[in-house]
Amino acid sequence: MIEALGLGKDFGAVRALDGLDLDVGEAEFFGFLGPNGAGKTTTVHILATLLRPTRGSARIAGHDVVRESLAVRKSIGLVFQEPTLDRDLTVEENLRFAARLWDLPGGTRSAATRIDELLRQFGLSERRDSPVRSLSGGMRRAADIARGVLHRPRVLFLDEPTAGLDPRARRTLWQFIRDLRAASGMTVFLTTHYVEEAEPCDRVAVLDRGHLVAQGTPAELKRAAGAGSLEEVFLARTGRPLAEADAAAAPPGRER
Amino acid sequence: MARAVWGIVAREFVRFLRQRGRLVSSVARPFVWFVFAGAGFRAMFAGPPGLDYPRYMAPGLLGMVVLFGAFLAALSTVTDRDAGVLRMLLVAPVPRGAIALGKVLGATLLGTVQALAVALILLPAARLSVTPGGAVLALAAVVLTSLAAGAVGLVLAATIRSIENFAGVMNFAIFPMLFLCGAFYPVRNLAAPLRALAYLNPLAYGVDLLKHALLAPWSAAGYGGELAVGFDFAALAVFAGLGLAAATPLLAREDGVTRAAFPGERR
Repeated sequence: MIEALGLGKDFGAVRALDGLDLDVGEAEFFGFLGPNGAGKTTTVHILATLLRPTRGSARIAGHDVVRESLAVRKSIGLVFQEPTLDRDLTVEENLRFAARLWDLPGGTRSAATRIDELLRQFGLSERRDSPVRSLSGGMRRAADIARGVLHRPRVLFLDEPTAGLDPRARRTLWQFIRDLRAASGMTVFLTTHYVEEAEPCDRVAVLDRGHLVAQGTPAELKRAAGAGSLEEVFLARTGRPLAEADAAAAPPGRER
Repeated sequence: MARAVWGIVAREFVRFLRQRGRLVSSVARPFVWFVFAGAGFRAMFAGPPGLDYPRYMAPGLLGMVVLFGAFLAALSTVTDRDAGVLRMLLVAPVPRGAIALGKVLGATLLGTVQALAVALILLPAARLSVTPGGAVLALAAVVLTSLAAGAVGLVLAATIRSIENFAGVMNFAIFPMLFLCGAFYPVRNLAAPLRALAYLNPLAYGVDLLKHALLAPWSAAGYGGELAVGFDFAALAVFAGLGLAAATPLLAREDGVTRAAFPGERR
C-alpha cells in the first residue's frame, strides 16, 4: 500500500531524510518511531505529496507521489501534527467544508449521513454546533481525525496524534483509532516518539537523524537487539536513549 | 472540483457573516471618509456645476470598499496558513489552481456584497442619480475590480510569511493603491512618475470604470472616466489572470506547508 525506495529530502544543506525504504501492506498498522527531528514528519509530508523528495521515489496504492499527486491525495487521509480545522466554524461546518473539498460522492445527502456517523463515532454529536475554538484539545484532535477519514481513505497517516494531550484524552483517542481500524480495515501509518504507542503496531520502523536504523515486528526488533522494550531497541541501535535524543533535538514549537 | 471551489467560497462567506466587527467597519469606513474628507475638501474643490466633492468622491469610495473587502479577504489566506486551514486545503485532492480560484472568487463575492451594501446608502446620500446603463456598468466594474484585487491580494498573501507583516502591507500596498487610484483626485493630474505607478494599480482601472458609470454627466468637463471602458475591462482581466497564475504555485510552497522544512524557524 505504501512503497518507498531510497527516499531522501534535503532542506538547503541539511539532509533531513536519506535512503528510506518502506513497504507497508494493506490493512497493516505501521509505526514510525523516532525522536523529534528524526525526519518522521518530512517522510509523511513526502508520502502525502506536500513535499517533493530530493532523491528516490514512493508510491501509495500504486500511485507515484510526484507524478500522480491528485490520485495519491484521493486515496490517503492525513491528520497533521498541528490542527487544521477552522476555529471560527462549528465542528459540523468544518466537516461539511471538508466534505466539499473531498468531493464526497452521492451529493450532499450522503455527505450528511457520513458526517452524522463520524460525529457519533468520535463522541462529538453533542458538540456538532460548537465552534472548534471552544472544544478541548482531545475533542479537537478527534474532530481532526474525523476530518481525515471522512472520505474513507485507504491509507491513514497519523502524525503524532496524541502529542500535547493529557493521558485520559490520549486513551479515548486510542480507543477511537482502534475502533476505526477494526471497522474499516484501512492501512494506518503512525508516527510517534512514544514507545508505548508503537508497541501495539504490526510492524515498526525506527528512524534516527533521517536514517532508518531498524524495521520489523516489535517482537523481532526486541529479539534482534536482545532488548526487553522498544526503548532499549532504540538505545541498542543508536547508542542513545530515545528520551535524551528527543530532548536534544529542537522540539518544533507546537504551541502558539 | 466545482464542489471544492464552492466549498472554499462558502466558507469565506460564513466567516465574514460571523465576524460582526468586520461587517460594521467595512460598511462604516467609506462614510467616515465621505463625511470628514468630504467636508474638508469640499471648499477646495472647484468642479463643474452640479459636482461637489462628496459626489466626485463617491465612485472612489466604492473602489475603496472593494479594495478593503476583496483585497483583505484574499489576504486572510495568511491567517489560514497560521491557523493550519491551508494544510487541509493542500492535502485535499484538489488542484492548486482550484484552491487559488476558490479564494479569489470568495474575495470577489465579499468585495461585491460590501460594495453593493455601501452603494445603496452612499449613492442616495451623495444625491447621485444613476441611469440603468450606469448601474449595470457599475456592477460589472465592482465584480471585476473585486476579482482583480482578490487575485493581487492572494499573490501578496502567498508571498508574505505572517500576518505580523500586516502593517507593512497597509503602508506599502493598501495606502498607495488607495491614493493612486483616482478616488480623491484625477489620475491625469498626477506627475508622470506617479501616473505611471497608478497605471500599475488594478484599482485605478476599477475606479475609472466606476467614474464612467456614475459621473457620466461631468465627463465632458473632465471629471468622468479617463480611459476607454474596454481598456479598463481588459486591464482588470489581465490583473485577475496574472494574479491567479502567479498565486497558484506560490500557495503550495514547501515552507508554507511544513514546519519541518525550516527547523527552528518560527513562521
